[in-house]
Amino acid sequence: MQVREYVGRRLFKLPLIMIAMSILIFGISRIGASPIGIYLEHEMTPAEVVELEERFNLNDSLPEQYWAWATGVVRGDLGWSGVSTAPVSDVLWKFTAASMELALVAAAFGIVAGIGLGTYAGSRRDKPGDHITRIIAISGASLPLFWLALLVLIFFYVILGWAPTGRYDVNTWETISHPTGFYTVDALLNGSWTAFGDALSHLWLPALVLAYGAMGPIARIMRSSLVDELEKDYVDAARAKGLPERLVIGRHARRNAMIPTVTVIGHAFGHLLQGSVVIELIFQWPGIGRWIATAVLRGDQATILAFVLITSVIFLTVNLIVDVLYAYLDRRVELGT
Amino acid sequence: MADIAHPVPTVRFQTLRARSARGGEIFRASLKSPTMVGGSIVIILMVLMAVFAPLIIEPNVPDAYQMPRDYTAINAPPGTPGHLLGTTPTGGDVLYGVVWGSRMSMRLSVIVVTVVVVVGVTVGSIAGFVGGWVDEVLMRIVDVVLAIPELILALAIAGILGPSFRNIILALAVSGWTGFARLMRAEVLHVKLEEYVDSARVIGDSRWRIFRKDVLPNSISPIVVLATLSMGKYVLFGATLAFIGLAEAGLTEWGNLVADGQTGIASGRWWTATFGGLMVFLWALSFNLVGDGLRDVLDPRSETR
Repeated sequence: MQVREYVGRRLFKLPLIMIAMSILIFGISRIGASPIGIYLEHEMTPAEVVELEERFNLNDSLPEQYWAWATGVVRGDLGWSGVSTAPVSDVLWKFTAASMELALVAAAFGIVAGIGLGTYAGSRRDKPGDHITRIIAISGASLPLFWLALLVLIFFYVILGWAPTGRYDVNTWETISHPTGFYTVDALLNGSWTAFGDALSHLWLPALVLAYGAMGPIARIMRSSLVDELEKDYVDAARAKGLPERLVIGRHARRNAMIPTVTVIGHAFGHLLQGSVVIELIFQWPGIGRWIATAVLRGDQATILAFVLITSVIFLTVNLIVDVLYAYLDRRVELGT
Repeated sequence: MADIAHPVPTVRFQTLRARSARGGEIFRASLKSPTMVGGSIVIILMVLMAVFAPLIIEPNVPDAYQMPRDYTAINAPPGTPGHLLGTTPTGGDVLYGVVWGSRMSMRLSVIVVTVVVVVGVTVGSIAGFVGGWVDEVLMRIVDVVLAIPELILALAIAGILGPSFRNIILALAVSGWTGFARLMRAEVLHVKLEEYVDSARVIGDSRWRIFRKDVLPNSISPIVVLATLSMGKYVLFGATLAFIGLAEAGLTEWGNLVADGQTGIASGRWWTATFGGLMVFLWALSFNLVGDGLRDVLDPRSETR
């Protein structure tokens, strides 16, 4: 099958998975407490409560309720977010952009560090450097991210005072507009280097902490595929013609070893999305993660459903890109249906 | 389709049964790995701590899983008489939370891992062994659940069901089985092609007998490895959800301890959060080390590495 055909099929399947997933999550949401719980107030009369129930079609059958919700979503009406006291659609992009900015920077850190660490370990197989890398990778998968973030915050915020929490300094950003919602990009579009520096100063620490968890799996698969590559004939040939080891690895083996590594990047991005919830909570980063963390405590179902939808759109899209990239890089991949 | 996104290990595992006939060999190989021995010792200590919790520290009445409150000693630093590891901002004894929290972690990990292994292995076996449209339907369901990162799905489910530790367990169990299903299916598909399965069919064994005697024992090794790693992962996930606030307040749970200690950190009261998080880290780390070592022992390829 051609790569193009494969991409077409995947693009066709994406909405199908999304629809099935939305049915699943909507079904689960109707098992729990009533969705109107978050909107109830003490002063409400029984008539008002009934009216509220009707507005949520609670007297209809489940498929009808789903249809009402799903058609709303398609029209851009995702309901009223109780925790933001605003329509979900009004705040969703602002929060998503904040989270995406954090996650993308963290992903860049994680991929670069993971590949670097994996190369280092793979080229020093069974030497102390290899073992230390293994321990770093395993501990990265074992460290509770919320705990690591707190420890890091004590050090850089309380003791050193290097890293401010939140996303921006109010005074710096007074005159700056937000065309994209990505603060680093917004700052550049406004031509303000002060604002750009401010955005970066808020961004680097949470992104680094978030990247730490994602780095481990990348480093480990990079290490093992580099070890595999180094046993191949072309490596012997490169060595035999007198190429320095640095170039053998840097120019030949590492490139091929990166192909299998691409496959875990989609997975690692899932880690990032998961980790961003607690990271945003601790660093007071105004993204979807912090938004959902407040929503789950109050049973705000409109917010929870919107969060799950947007997260899975991001997750599926990243995975699709990764798979296509992999299929493109490695033509030996069997492209199934 | 999405098979590429979630690669199954191409590494062949030696069968657990063939190996367990040489059980001593697995044991000896494990002893050679210092990380595995270290991890096992920590696990044993933690399990002992959970089992003998009432002997280590008197249970709180009426509910042993609620932090005892000592309002005369709020925010006491470690080393205070009667509060070896200090107290929380609400006067809870940190040592009590650490010791009785191990029971919560054990309960959570054992229940969740049992459920996800049983469900995952069943679904994966049926899909792989029966094949055809059954396989297609089951795997599309798996694809749908996998469309959401596991912890995010669990977070949403726990949020919808309402904050309680029981719901955390339920949410993790509901969202976690897909990994096992995919792994098991891939193993079964592979084992199904082996010659001994053909010969069993030739001598007229029933499908059920072939599955039970040949396929299942030969595809279970990677499941054992993944289950070990999952014991650590789910305590990590459970603590994360508890930290967010999805467990009952005052519950003796390690993630709760970190959440309780969070506010005091800026003013130098480091102990509550530190000890709570340290326990989660040790638990997850030791299971990851053992699982990782187990993979090396069960994977014949790694012997040469």
